[in-house]
Amino acid sequence: MTIQDSPAAATTHVMQVRGMSMSYGTGAAFNPILQDLDLDVVAGEFVSIVGPSGVGKTTLLRCLSGLLTPQAGTITVSGDEVHGPHPDLAVVFQDYSRSLMPWMTTRENVAFPLQGKGLGKAERNALADENLAAVGLAGQGDKYPWEMSGGMQQRVAIARALAYQAKVLLMDEPFASVDAQTRFDLEDLVLKLQHELGVTILLVTHDIDEALYLADKVVVIAEKPATVVDVIETGFGEDRDQLATKADPRFAEARARIMHRLKKD
Amino acid sequence: MTSATAPASPGDVGTQANGTTSGTGSQPSRASRRGASGGRASGGRASGGRQAAPRRKKPPTAAGQLLQSTWLIVVVLVLWWVLSARSTNFFIPSLQQILEALGTDLTNGVIAGGALYSLSNLFVGLAIAVVLGVGLGLVLGEVGWLRRVVDPVIHFFRCIPQAALVPLIIGTFGIGQGPKMGTIAFACFWPILLNTIDGVLGVEPTVRHFSKVYRVPKPLYFRRVVLPAALPQIVAGVRVALPIGITVMVVSEMFASTEGLGFYILNSSATFQVPQTWAGALLVGVVGYLLSVLFVFAERRLLRWYYASGAK
Amino acid sequence: MNPTLSRPAWLLLARLGAVALILALWQTVVSAGLLPSMVPGIADVASAIVTSLSNPLFWGALGRTLLAALAGWMIATVVGVVLGLLIGSIRFLDRSTSILIDFGRSFPVLALMPVVIMLLGSTTTMEIVVVALSALWPVLVQTIYGARRQEAAVADTVAVFRIPAGLRFRRVLLPGAMPFIATGVRISSAISILVAVGVEVISQAPGIGRQITLMQQNQQWDVAFAYLFFTGLVGWGIAVGLQKIEDKLLTWKRQMND
Repeated sequence: MTIQDSPAAATTHVMQVRGMSMSYGTGAAFNPILQDLDLDVVAGEFVSIVGPSGVGKTTLLRCLSGLLTPQAGTITVSGDEVHGPHPDLAVVFQDYSRSLMPWMTTRENVAFPLQGKGLGKAERNALADENLAAVGLAGQGDKYPWEMSGGMQQRVAIARALAYQAKVLLMDEPFASVDAQTRFDLEDLVLKLQHELGVTILLVTHDIDEALYLADKVVVIAEKPATVVDVIETGFGEDRDQLATKADPRFAEARARIMHRLKKD
Repeated sequence: MTSATAPASPGDVGTQANGTTSGTGSQPSRASRRGASGGRASGGRASGGRQAAPRRKKPPTAAGQLLQSTWLIVVVLVLWWVLSARSTNFFIPSLQQILEALGTDLTNGVIAGGALYSLSNLFVGLAIAVVLGVGLGLVLGEVGWLRRVVDPVIHFFRCIPQAALVPLIIGTFGIGQGPKMGTIAFACFWPILLNTIDGVLGVEPTVRHFSKVYRVPKPLYFRRVVLPAALPQIVAGVRVALPIGITVMVVSEMFASTEGLGFYILNSSATFQVPQTWAGALLVGVVGYLLSVLFVFAERRLLRWYYASGAK
Repeated sequence: MNPTLSRPAWLLLARLGAVALILALWQTVVSAGLLPSMVPGIADVASAIVTSLSNPLFWGALGRTLLAALAGWMIATVVGVVLGLLIGSIRFLDRSTSILIDFGRSFPVLALMPVVIMLLGSTTTMEIVVVALSALWPVLVQTIYGARRQEAAVADTVAVFRIPAGLRFRRVLLPGAMPFIATGVRISSAISILVAVGVEVISQAPGIGRQITLMQQNQQWDVAFAYLFFTGLVGWGIAVGLQKIEDKLLTWKRQMND
């Protein structure tokens, strides 16, 4: 509904969604979740999708990651139409403690998807250690996830997604279950990694501040069934700071605009 | 009271008994059992952990579900029928012959008498095991020091392969019904005992404290508090004991008997009545299956509060 | 309530006392003639135990039984784990096989033994087959339970990172189900020995169960009881050993539950 880009620009899009609809059940139990949803993600961009709890954000993310097949519309990643998980996509799940395998060390957890890709052992371990170091866990590869705090576990999950060398990182409320200070640290870590590695990130959250602070572009979804109600370019640039950026008048303005969007039924 | 507060050492009766609860599939040892409270996670129902969400498809209809759960059985029976019909091996009779033999001996009372004999041995033996196992288990579960003292003895007896007792008990006491019942009772006693102890240890400390504070008399406390609280675990113990009892029942009759289903099978094979041998073996299997189905039904009724309270 | 019992030395002493009490009780009952005369006294059994230790016939019989039990148990474990992971992770198979598996696991396989003897004779192979058929079910049922309980987040992770089926089977499904498999394997170890001895008691298959029957028929009751004692000892040793191995292998599971 809110596409500003011209079709000619589509080649630079690493991910594109057109007219996606999704519902559960039939007949009396028919429950539409997503309605005619469009989305464009440019390479190197940080996009936040923000919406109230229960609006269908997780369903949206499961569709984008190829875990669910939408009933209508198309999703393209790197130019391919998606019909299942795409090799250019990696996901950081909200449920970090469960998505890491407790019987593997953190190094094995990070290296595991690479084994599926067919990489040799030495190469896998080197990549795992490198990415563990990138998220600030250098030398912790032999620990087990359950020996670590929640914040550290989520760092491992991020390292795993990075090591997979995907072009797009999908993050599903990745910081929802850690305490506030850890959350700020992780947000800054993700910003730093994005700038260093140039990876594209699509983050789903219900937290408006988080969405604004991290993103170049905030996509607001609301209503039932959910659809895109607004797209905001934040324009904060590369240097962000938990205090200064959030004190920026543009931040407050954008925040008010999103809250207004979400409020009106 | 040591039982609730003393941390169970790895060799302690309570923790090890977990293995015995698991005959029909239960949680792995110690999950949710560690820590002082013990909780009510007993009874072999696993707790915690989100399960993989079923794929969101149309729910199958009742007829579809029935078809899905029965087609393989039909295929197996048809295959058996067709393949065995062409068998030239004397020891592999056709399914048709087996069923005919079964039909004949079922109608002329040969099997019915044997089944009555076998099942009465089983039920009496099991009943004795339940009474003794639960009674002693309640005491050992409550009295911590006694439990710790007799722990190695219990584990030793539990580990004797029950079948090895058959020649000794029957050799000593003769081939009548009594020794067979005794052997079954002895074999079934240990899992029931261990599970009862485990169940008593799992009683919520709050309930225990409540009974103390309100000075609930001991007999009332055992009957109305400990027994019901341990019941799911006790029932799980009986469920483990049942197949052991059936196995010992068959062995005792094959070892030395002139009656019973085990004798029928052995006698048929000794006289080269091959279809009858197969028929008897199949019949024991069906009886075993029916008993376990009946048991599950009884369990559902007996433990309705347990399932309804969401403790599973 | 006895605080001194928390001291290991006192506990050991009390436990020895309990054993002594039971033995004394037995001796009294036997001496008083309350049991049929063939039941041996403590001294006879004890000396039979000592004699057995230097009897190659006894060790050979025990070894045969253990080998048969071990072979059947290993076959049951491999078949049960592989089938169980397949059935438990594929809903269609799970539904289709549930009644058959319920039937199989409540089937007293020893009742089939005469049939298996007809086909294979009273041999060790027959014994292994009967043991494997009996020990299969706990492993199979527990593995299915374990495979069914895959975490949703783990299933999603495996799908998103496009983990190939073989790798998923080996590195995700198998370790995830391991706590359940371990329980099943432990249960079927006890069943393996029970069934191996049971087969020997009622057939001509050689082994310790056969020896117990023979000794009893030869009126060598003390030796029969000594052999019974050894079967219990072996069963106990295996149970303790497996528990130890399980504790070591499943450290991650225990940590998670703490």
